[in-house]
Amino acid sequence: MKKIIWLLVGLLATPSIWAAVGCDLNEPDRDVKRFFPTSSRYTTAYESIQKSGGEKLLAQVEHELGEAFSGLYEKIDVPYTVYTIYQKDNLLGYIHGVNQKGKYGAIQVFLVLTPQGKILDIYFQKLTSKQSKFFRSDKFRSPFTGLSYKDFAGYDISAKKLPDFPPLSALTAPPEDTTDFYSILRGIKKNLILMQHFVFGVTEENL
Amino acid sequence: MNFFTLAYKNLLRRKIRTFFTVIGIGLSAWVFITLMGFNRGYEESLNRDIEAMGFQLLLTAKGCPYEAATLMLKGGTGLRYMPQDTVKKVQNAPEIAQLTQMLMHAEFDPYKGEDGGTTVFLGIDPTTYPAMKPYFRFKQGGWFTQPQANEIVLGYEAAELEEREAGDLMLLPNTEQEFKVVGVLERTGTQDDGMIFLPLQTLQKTFHKENLITMLGIRTHQEADTAVFEEQLYQLPDVQVVSMAQVKNTIISLVASAKVIVLSIAAIAFLIAMFGVLNTVLMSVLERYQEIGILKAIGALPKQIFYLVWLETILLCLWGSLVGIIMAFAFSGVAEQLVRYFLPFAPVGNLIALSPGLILQTLGFIILTGLTGGILPALRAAFIRPLDAIRSEN
Repeated sequence: MKKIIWLLVGLLATPSIWAAVGCDLNEPDRDVKRFFPTSSRYTTAYESIQKSGGEKLLAQVEHELGEAFSGLYEKIDVPYTVYTIYQKDNLLGYIHGVNQKGKYGAIQVFLVLTPQGKILDIYFQKLTSKQSKFFRSDKFRSPFTGLSYKDFAGYDISAKKLPDFPPLSALTAPPEDTTDFYSILRGIKKNLILMQHFVFGVTEENL
Repeated sequence: MNFFTLAYKNLLRRKIRTFFTVIGIGLSAWVFITLMGFNRGYEESLNRDIEAMGFQLLLTAKGCPYEAATLMLKGGTGLRYMPQDTVKKVQNAPEIAQLTQMLMHAEFDPYKGEDGGTTVFLGIDPTTYPAMKPYFRFKQGGWFTQPQANEIVLGYEAAELEEREAGDLMLLPNTEQEFKVVGVLERTGTQDDGMIFLPLQTLQKTFHKENLITMLGIRTHQEADTAVFEEQLYQLPDVQVVSMAQVKNTIISLVASAKVIVLSIAAIAFLIAMFGVLNTVLMSVLERYQEIGILKAIGALPKQIFYLVWLETILLCLWGSLVGIIMAFAFSGVAEQLVRYFLPFAPVGNLIALSPGLILQTLGFIILTGLTGGILPALRAAFIRPLDAIRSEN
C-alpha cells in the first residue's frame, strides 16, 4: 500500500517536461526506401547521451569531437533517432541524423551508413545556407562515400581548415563563405561519434 | 475481528476474482477520469489560446470564417490580404482601447526537407504589438531596434528548431538578405512559441506586400458594447470581423459531437463498473450461502450482514478507483497524443486536465455506483434464512 501511495504522489508531483528538439526523418518510410531500395522493414530506436552514459559519455563525446557542446540547444538530453534498416532479417544499414548549428540556421545532417559504419550517403533534411544547392549536390556528397569514424577521428574541427592527410584532404571547400562547410564537417563528425556509442558497441564500461 | 477486517479477508479469499473486478473498476474509473479531464481540459486550453491572442476582435480580408479561425489559431496559408489603410478607417473608434496590425506571410522554402516546405512569418508593428502580449518574456535580447530593421524575434520553439540565439543570423527563403536575431522569447505554451516575428514594414518590403496586412487585432474598452461595435465594423467593405467568442463557438461546435460520444462512453463505463460489482458480489454471496446462514444462526442481524456485504462492495470500488486514478495519471500523455491525432483541431496546452476535484468526483461517483450495484447482493445476503442455508447442499 505504501508503495502505491508513493507512486501516486510521484505521479502527481511530476512536472510537465518539455523535451529538447531531436532530429528524426520527416518521412521515414519514403526516405528509408530511397536510400535502401531493397529494404523490407526498419526499426526506430531513440537514444540520448543522457540515457546511454550521462555526463561521462558527454565528456567522452566532447573529447572525441575536440570541442565542447555549445549553445542552448546542443545538450545532453537531446533525443537522437537511429533507424536500423533490414531486408527481411539481413541488416542493410543505418540512418542517423544530428542537428548542427549553421550560419543561418540549424542544419540537419543525416548519415546513411553501412552495417560497418561507413558512409553511403549524406542527406541534409534541413539546410538554410546561401550554398544549399552546392551542399546538396552529388559533387559535394560523393567524396564522403566510404568514409567512417576513423577517417574523422584525427580531424580538428576547431582549426576551421581541411586536414593535410587523406582522405579528408581530398574534400573541396566552397570558394566563398566556408562557415557552413565547416559546420557540416562538424555535424558529420558528431554524427559518427554518436553512432560509435549508440550502435557500434562503444559502451559506458569500455569508455 | 471487526466488520472491516472481515470484509477485507472475504475479498482476499478469492484473490483472482477480486483482482479482475478491481481491474475492471479501475479501467472504468480511468476512462471516466480521462474523458471528464478532456471535457474540461480542451475548453480550458482553448480559452487560454484565445486569451493569449491578446485581442477580442480580429479584422481580416473577407473569406471563409473557418479560414479566419484557422488563421488566428494555427497560422494559415493561402492568405487573403487587406489594404493597410483599413487601420485609418477604424483607429479612431471610441470603443478601441488598443489596435495592432499584422501581416502573416507563408513562403515556400525549396531547401526545407526533401521537397521543400513552407515557413510562416508574422510581421508585427513593434509599437503596438508588445502591449497586446504583456505575458511575453524574453529569454535573450528584446524587441526590434527600428521599425524597418532587418531583425527577427523568435518564439521559443522556433529558436530551438533553428538553433538560433540572440546575435545569430538568419536567411529568409528566396532572399539573399541576412537578418539578425535580436530576441528569443521564453516558452508561452501558445502558438507564438513556433513563430518567427519580423517588423511589419520589413516583412512587407522583403516579400513585396507593401501596404498590405492580413489581420488587424482590436482590444476594446471594457465598457464598450462589442456586439454593436462588431456591427459597425461589418459596414467596412471587403472586411470580415471575427470575435473571440465566434471563434470559440465555431471550434466548440466542431468538437461538440465528439463530446457527446465522450460523455456516452463515460456513462457506459459507469454502467460496466456497476454491473461488474453487482455480479462479483452476488456470486460471492451465493458461494457463501451456508456461511452467511451460520452467521445468522449464531446471532448476526440482517442489517449486520447487509453492512458486511456493502462494505465489501465499497472496498472493491475504492481499490478500483485508486487503480483508475493511477492509470489516468500514468497514461494521460498517451491519451492526449491520441486525442490530438484524432481531433480536427486541438489547442496548445494540456488537453486532459486532471485536478484534485475531478479525482474526488470520480472516487465519489464510483463508490456511489458500487453502492447502488451492491444493494441487490447485500439484500439477498441479509434475507437469507439460516435454516434454509444450513440445509442446502451447496
